[in-house]
Amino acid sequence: MSGRWQWFHRLGSPKWFYEKTTRWLPWLVGAMALFLAVGIVWALLFLPPDYQQGHTSRILVVHVAVAGTSLSFFPLMAVAGTVTLVWRIKLADMVAKNAAPLGAWFTFLTLATGSIWGSVSWGTWWEWTDSRLVSMLFQLFLLLGVISLRTAIENAETAARACALLSIVGCINVVIIKYSVDWWNTLHQPSSPISMEVGSPNGPEFWVATAVMIVAVYLFLAVSLILTTRNEILQREDKAQWVRELVAQAR
Amino acid sequence: MIDGIQFNSLSEFLAMGGYAFNVWSVYALFAIFLVANLALPLRKRRLILRDQKRRLAALDAREDSARDPADSAGWEVSMAGDEK
Amino acid sequence: MNRAGAGAAFRATLKRDLLISVKRRNDILNPFMFFVIVVSLFPIGISPESAMLRQIAAGVIWIAVLLASMLSMDSLYRSDYEDGSLEQLLLSSQPLYLLVFAKNIAHWLVSGLPVILVSPLLAYMLALPAEGYVTLVLSLLLGTPVVGMLGSIAVALTVGLGSRGLILAVITVPMSVPVLIFGTLAVQNSLAGGSPLGYLALLGAMLAAAVSLAPVATAAALRISLN
Repeated sequence: MSGRWQWFHRLGSPKWFYEKTTRWLPWLVGAMALFLAVGIVWALLFLPPDYQQGHTSRILVVHVAVAGTSLSFFPLMAVAGTVTLVWRIKLADMVAKNAAPLGAWFTFLTLATGSIWGSVSWGTWWEWTDSRLVSMLFQLFLLLGVISLRTAIENAETAARACALLSIVGCINVVIIKYSVDWWNTLHQPSSPISMEVGSPNGPEFWVATAVMIVAVYLFLAVSLILTTRNEILQREDKAQWVRELVAQAR
Repeated sequence: MIDGIQFNSLSEFLAMGGYAFNVWSVYALFAIFLVANLALPLRKRRLILRDQKRRLAALDAREDSARDPADSAGWEVSMAGDEK
Repeated sequence: MNRAGAGAAFRATLKRDLLISVKRRNDILNPFMFFVIVVSLFPIGISPESAMLRQIAAGVIWIAVLLASMLSMDSLYRSDYEDGSLEQLLLSSQPLYLLVFAKNIAHWLVSGLPVILVSPLLAYMLALPAEGYVTLVLSLLLGTPVVGMLGSIAVALTVGLGSRGLILAVITVPMSVPVLIFGTLAVQNSLAGGSPLGYLALLGAMLAAAVSLAPVATAAALRISLN
């Protein structure tokens, strides 16, 4: 192995990841708390009510941040899957395994907040003509497929590689589904002229508040995924000396 | 009142211009989502550490009794069962 | 491993799978019957009026075809897995891509084609206007192999599992959505007097992409499942 690749394999070492994240976690949690606090207070108290949507634009700040972040799960799992299949790095699979349920949570929350917002804006809880919600629904199905494949295969190594392949195929499919549903939607325009553009009438204040919230939600994604991946490391590497020492030191 | 706050009173803030249910249910869901996805991994971590500590202690006890066969033969059998 | 050898292996696999299917007629009959039964439920469940049926005909046929192909998929690699011939396939010196492709074609000829052949009859029973038939059959001809090959990836990933349960459906349904969208749009467009060629071309592009990529993924999935 050439020296150029050393960092790559060190990065893939569970021990290296565990030790690094021990040092990073306080900073990440601090930044997450800061951005969440600023984002939520801003969205709830300081964001001027929209002239059309009134106070419901406060919903959109959360919805847009969660929706945008939930789009990153399939690319993340596809990259992790590629690393699993090509370099057989255990850490990539530990991340991918925990990303799937978290992604399902994110996608579900996107659907829930979207439909709560829609109940005001569209006058209905579910609107098939909103292509974003429809593609999110199918992303949720695909994520549930990855999760159920993981639980169905008993051999951990086989499950890792099968889920890696499905994540790559799923990632390509999510893109195709998104474009085809968009296309489909433009041909089935709603009969009533309701504003479908999320955030269209909102000014720069809205987008700054949303940007803060997006950073907050991404930091939250990182923290939550790091926590679950560290649990995974403790479980899978329980025979390793360094884990035993760590367990012995724990209260 | 701090400058820039969009509400004149607490009751106005809670009412959200008539959209109280929608706004507050979204923020409640968001809060549950955040807390659950941080608290559950932390709880699992505690359980993992507790289980592994117990397992290591059992392993140590077995090594001790192996060194001193007179210690208690009954222990050995139950620990071997645990390992499976 | 010369070219002729690969071609011969392709033809042999195709022939073998077709022969096996002909011997086990249930594999052909079940999806076919399922398709007919599902379609016949729609007029009863929704409305027997031809004005209503006309609007939903293309969608009903397409959805029933998808459900039927999902039902037939379950048998795709199962018997080969059980009698060990799937492992022989993996050990073969011929490119696995070609062998998988041959199996996909055989499966489509046996389970997809009969359903497509009977679809005009059922479309007539659902009062599909005359302008829609050619487009419907063409869209099915282009679209069902895509669904079959995508499903084949899911089947290959789950081939060793005792109970697949919903996994196949949960994986395959979202992947079939683009095909369903463009298939039904093509028919609706030709009913509206427009040209369906654009949508058929998109389905053709999907078929080309599926032919070139899906067997690669299926081959990889088989290697993973049977490692």
